[in-house]
Amino acid sequence: MLPFKLPPQILRLVLVAMAIVGSYFVARSFLVPPSFGQYGWYRGAALAEIASREPVFAGKQSCDECHSDILHKLAKDAHKTLSCEGCHGVSREHGNNPDILPVKSTGSHCIRCHEANLARPTWLKQIVVKDHYGPKCTECHLPHQPTKSP
Amino acid sequence: MKNQINRRSSLLRMGGALAGLLTLSAAKTAKAAVQTVFVSTSAPKGYDPTKHKWLMCIDDNKCIGCGLCAEACKKENGVPEGPYFRTWIERYIIPKPKPGSGETRGEAIVDSPNGGIPKGGVSAFPEPTLPKDQIEHAFFVPKLCNLCENPPCVQVCPVGATFKAPDGAVLIDPKYCIGCAFCVQACPYGARFLNPVTKTAEKCSLCYHRITRNLKPACVEICPAEARIFGDLNNLHADDPIQKFYEKNRVQVLKPHLGTEPRVLYAALDKEVR
Amino acid sequence: MINEVTNIVVETLPQIQGYVYPNESNVHPVWSVLIVIYPYITGLVAGAFIMASLVRVFNVKALAPVYRMSMLTALAFLLCATLPLLCHLGHPERNYEVMMTPHMTSPMAIFGFVYAWYLMAVLLLELWFDFRQDFVKWSKTTPGFQGLIYRVLTLGVTDVSEQSVRLDMKMEWILSIVGIPSAFLLHGYVGFIFGSIKANPWWGNVLMPIMFILSAIVSGIALCVFNYIVLTWIRRKTVNMRCLDAMAMFLFYALLVDAVIETLDVLHRGFAAEEGFAVLQTMIREKLFYTLNIGQVGIGTLVPLLMLGALQLLRHRVPEAVRRTMIFCSGAMILFGVLMMRWNVVMGGQFFSKSFRGVMSYKMEFSGQEGWLLGAAIMCLPFIILTVLVKLFLSESEQLQPCEHLPENSSKT
Ligand code: HEC
Ligand code: HEC
Ligand code: HEC
Ligand code: HEC
Repeated sequence: MLPFKLPPQILRLVLVAMAIVGSYFVARSFLVPPSFGQYGWYRGAALAEIASREPVFAGKQSCDECHSDILHKLAKDAHKTLSCEGCHGVSREHGNNPDILPVKSTGSHCIRCHEANLARPTWLKQIVVKDHYGPKCTECHLPHQPTKSP
Repeated sequence: MKNQINRRSSLLRMGGALAGLLTLSAAKTAKAAVQTVFVSTSAPKGYDPTKHKWLMCIDDNKCIGCGLCAEACKKENGVPEGPYFRTWIERYIIPKPKPGSGETRGEAIVDSPNGGIPKGGVSAFPEPTLPKDQIEHAFFVPKLCNLCENPPCVQVCPVGATFKAPDGAVLIDPKYCIGCAFCVQACPYGARFLNPVTKTAEKCSLCYHRITRNLKPACVEICPAEARIFGDLNNLHADDPIQKFYEKNRVQVLKPHLGTEPRVLYAALDKEVR
Repeated sequence: MINEVTNIVVETLPQIQGYVYPNESNVHPVWSVLIVIYPYITGLVAGAFIMASLVRVFNVKALAPVYRMSMLTALAFLLCATLPLLCHLGHPERNYEVMMTPHMTSPMAIFGFVYAWYLMAVLLLELWFDFRQDFVKWSKTTPGFQGLIYRVLTLGVTDVSEQSVRLDMKMEWILSIVGIPSAFLLHGYVGFIFGSIKANPWWGNVLMPIMFILSAIVSGIALCVFNYIVLTWIRRKTVNMRCLDAMAMFLFYALLVDAVIETLDVLHRGFAAEEGFAVLQTMIREKLFYTLNIGQVGIGTLVPLLMLGALQLLRHRVPEAVRRTMIFCSGAMILFGVLMMRWNVVMGGQFFSKSFRGVMSYKMEFSGQEGWLLGAAIMCLPFIILTVLVKLFLSESEQLQPCEHLPENSSKT
């Protein structure tokens, strides 16, 4: 077949090499995931898989359905940029089933944002809690309309 | 004698062909079986990654250091307790120069206790050790994956488990990651870590499961000060916050000399931030 | 009370000075002991091979007695080279992906192929051609299981005619020539794994591959010196002093070049004093003081340089036994020093924050996945393999000589 005869040891090595390379390609056809290379050097299906995780936070918009009054109130006052879940905690389950109530919001979390701190920007109204009027913030400030008092 | 051999060889040949066919089909089913491991089952529909280009802008004048973003991120993405953060807040305190030292400003003091997440409800950041009159500036900086255009972490991943999606999000395929931590070393921003539970690399995914459902990332959603602005460059509308941000600010990125071309743009950044 | 104490132990955070990114303030480093010995082992492979190539390619006859031993050393270590990498993975069972879907821009993926090429196309082939004749011979004389091994290793080729032996020689020569750049590539690539990380000023450095190659050559020759002396001692043979002196000479020059390049690196860093230089200084002063200044520079470089240099000058005035001890000691010290160098590179790159604002110390595990114990076990493995290989392929009678068909004999045949 060949124009010249391969020496036996070379022939044997060529066979071994072919077997190794061959089995590499067989293994490759098995083990490379099907969507690999769809968009680039990665599993295209991974995008959908990563996206398939269920969101945890419901978002402000989803409260609009039942609490539009509060959303309105909130939007008109100083807390307009705040998200409901920033104060009430994750409320996704509550949105789907109002019987499960979100964690009761108390005044204590107010100081998380309002306690005076040097590093805070000056536009934010800050108080030194010790020197402020009292620890029960909601007695004097409506949480949804903080400039108003009850 | 000769006849017999002939018959035997033809039988052999037929047997061989049959065996070949059988192994071929067996191989096919085996291949399918092997590959189902990689096939996803719950693909959300109606999202085309090629039609979006996400980016995040951070207006550093606005961050109030409440830590809600870092906390929400942990909840949203199930990040384990401990020193593992997809996003976190740093506090910079820049003292006044010592009198007569000839410096323009003192050596910056940086901290980020528990990533900025308050442990007892008040604030994660303790009172600065310096007295107030010695402090020139103090401010917070939110940090996250910088969504590099040329991500060094993707460059070094040996298997293609981390990648830049067509929509600009740099993601990690948790089913494919081998956990070599090369990307953790390569990220200049310290945005990656090895998840101690799954033993794979992890980082901010821009809440990919939210943005593909038309929700904002959890940190953006929760931010009370609009310090984080999130948008889609391919679908900008007239009063898009991103557009406004661009018009109002000159922007800067972190560690620009590394040529990573981040797509997380900061306004009002200080030179000490890196 | 006991409860409190255990809580404290569990919650010991790494010691941190200054600021480090929250993700960096882990108790254990991301890369640990295993990644320290990984470049160490590959370096030994490359070095041992290059030493063997001196015989084949550059025709250094004095080194002929250790040709086969250094080739087998290279093989034994190469077989273990990927082991530390594999053990350190978070998902070792997914390792096949590196070969199946190698990401071409990643030094680690390319390393897989460079490794496979080097193992199969260079080292195994060259050894096979070198030993083929002997396999044929031994397979006929050795009974039992060992004989079977030899028979399998012949791959069924029993032709030992003069013509085919001449072909073997030619192939070996070609393979050695291919092998030298391959060995450089193998270890250069390991250096590149670190050198390519631009985020880390301790690693991201163009000189890194070159420093890795040079220290690899040094450590490889030192390992051959070490193994040779130990092997002759075990077999109660006398050391061939001509050979040992030649090894010492090459060791000296390689070490000299290595030391110069590393000094250049230090000078360049100090002169450029780029961003992050201050934190590197702190790190060297506080975290790497012993391993760098004493381990790598003192024990690993200066003392051996002095000893070997003195031997170069005064070779004939020093009695043989003293010379032997000195060479052995400097070999062992270099082996230790290069291990320290790997430690300094790998761990040094993790002792400071990429924010360049702080340094951290880590707690090294003892028995965990990346612990000392596993590291030590992996370090022992190549020696065990080498023992088996030497038992099988370096019979006592041969005085560690290479097979007869060295290039210098080629004119005879
Ligand atoms: C399906 C309609 C619905 C949606 C959507 C909804 N809620 Fe409600 N929510 C209710 C109803 C009904 C109540 C009153 C329950 C009660 O008083 O027993 C309530 C009560 C509350 C309360 C008061 C709980 C208390 O302890 O008195 C809070 C806080 C609250 N919702 C927050 C939210 C937030 C935040 C969202 C958005 C994520 C949201 N809700 C979405 C129906 C809804
Ligand atoms: C600044 C933090 C804060 C934000 C932001 C906030 N709430 Fe509240 N919310 C409170 C507090 C505190 C209470 C408890 C008031 C009380 O006890 O009097 C409360 C009470 C409520 C209640 C109980 C009924 C009521 O009116 O007192 C509902 C319903 C509610 N919030 C819905 C919302 C929704 C929907 C949003 C988002 C649009 C929202 N909240 C945003 C702090 C907040
Ligand atoms: C998530 C952070 C956050 C929380 C929690 C929060 N606030 Fe605010 N608050 C803000 C921001 C942001 C503003 C608007 C900027 C400003 O005016 O200081 C604001 C404004 C205010 C103002 C208006 C000051 C003014 O005169 O304009 C008051 C009063 C106030 N908050 C009280 C409260 C009270 C009471 C609570 C607890 C129920 C609370 N805040 C919880 C962020 C927060
Ligand atoms: C006894 C009533 C009372 C209580 C309780 C109270 N406040 Fe006030 N707060 C006021 C009044 C009155 C003002 C406006 C006058 C002023 O600035 O002192 C005010 C102002 C503020 C402001 C705006 C400060 C500024 O610079 O304009 C913030 C923020 C605030 N309160 C937050 C809180 C928080 C947080 C709490 C809970 C820890 C709280 N308040 C509790 C009465 C109260």
